[in-house]
Amino acid sequence: MAPAIVSAIVFLVLIVWRFVFAGSHSGPLARAIAPQQQRHSNLLAEGLHISDLGTVAVIAENQFENNSGGLHFLDRKDRAKAYLRRIAALTGATQTGSAYVLDVGKMRFRVRDRHVSRLRDVTDPGCALEETCFYPVHRGMPKAEELATALLQLMNNPALFDRWAAQSGAYKADGQAFSPGQ
Amino acid sequence: MNAKILTFSSHGDTTLLEYDPATADMEEVNKLIAEYEAKTGAQPFDMATGERLERVTREQNEVLMVHPIAGG
Repeated sequence: MAPAIVSAIVFLVLIVWRFVFAGSHSGPLARAIAPQQQRHSNLLAEGLHISDLGTVAVIAENQFENNSGGLHFLDRKDRAKAYLRRIAALTGATQTGSAYVLDVGKMRFRVRDRHVSRLRDVTDPGCALEETCFYPVHRGMPKAEELATALLQLMNNPALFDRWAAQSGAYKADGQAFSPGQ
Repeated sequence: MNAKILTFSSHGDTTLLEYDPATADMEEVNKLIAEYEAKTGAQPFDMATGERLERVTREQNEVLMVHPIAGG
């Protein structure tokens, strides 16, 4: 009987001890969890921060790419300008501001950014100035190369001006109609 | 010195083909040019004279494929 009572008392003491000291244990546990949650929050924050950094890095990378692309772009622009100078020299075109003046026989073309004007007879003071727009079918080439393309084509086939003015589609350098899907 | 066929593109000047004019099969070169023209409408110009070429020969060292232009 006595051992049973002792066991019961020990059991009760343990229960009391558990309830009495549970609070003091919950503190450290809570404190242990809190930092973990804090760490978790910090990790989330770090995650966001990392994401932010990632975004910054991506932006920076893009900027770098843009910069490198920019450098490349400048490089290709410079090369395009060099080709334009070569082609202007080949065609006898002269630069006046941002435009190039090209004489083909009695005709005078003035080619600038996607615009071209024509005097049919430069010796005729009453000759009307005609103007039209043009664009290369192959899009995205540097402006200088667009100008060079127009100069080469007009020098070889000045009648292309009328085709462009008619706005009836694209034409190859020899004057044949061209549709991109053909 | 190698000859080259180039074009103007969205990437700027782009070399399409390089070959040794002394030994190249010019039939093959012209066939490739014809295929490129059929696809893009671009036609060959001699970069030494600025003249459009009906056919590329061993004389040309630099040929520019000139893309079509539309009015607008």
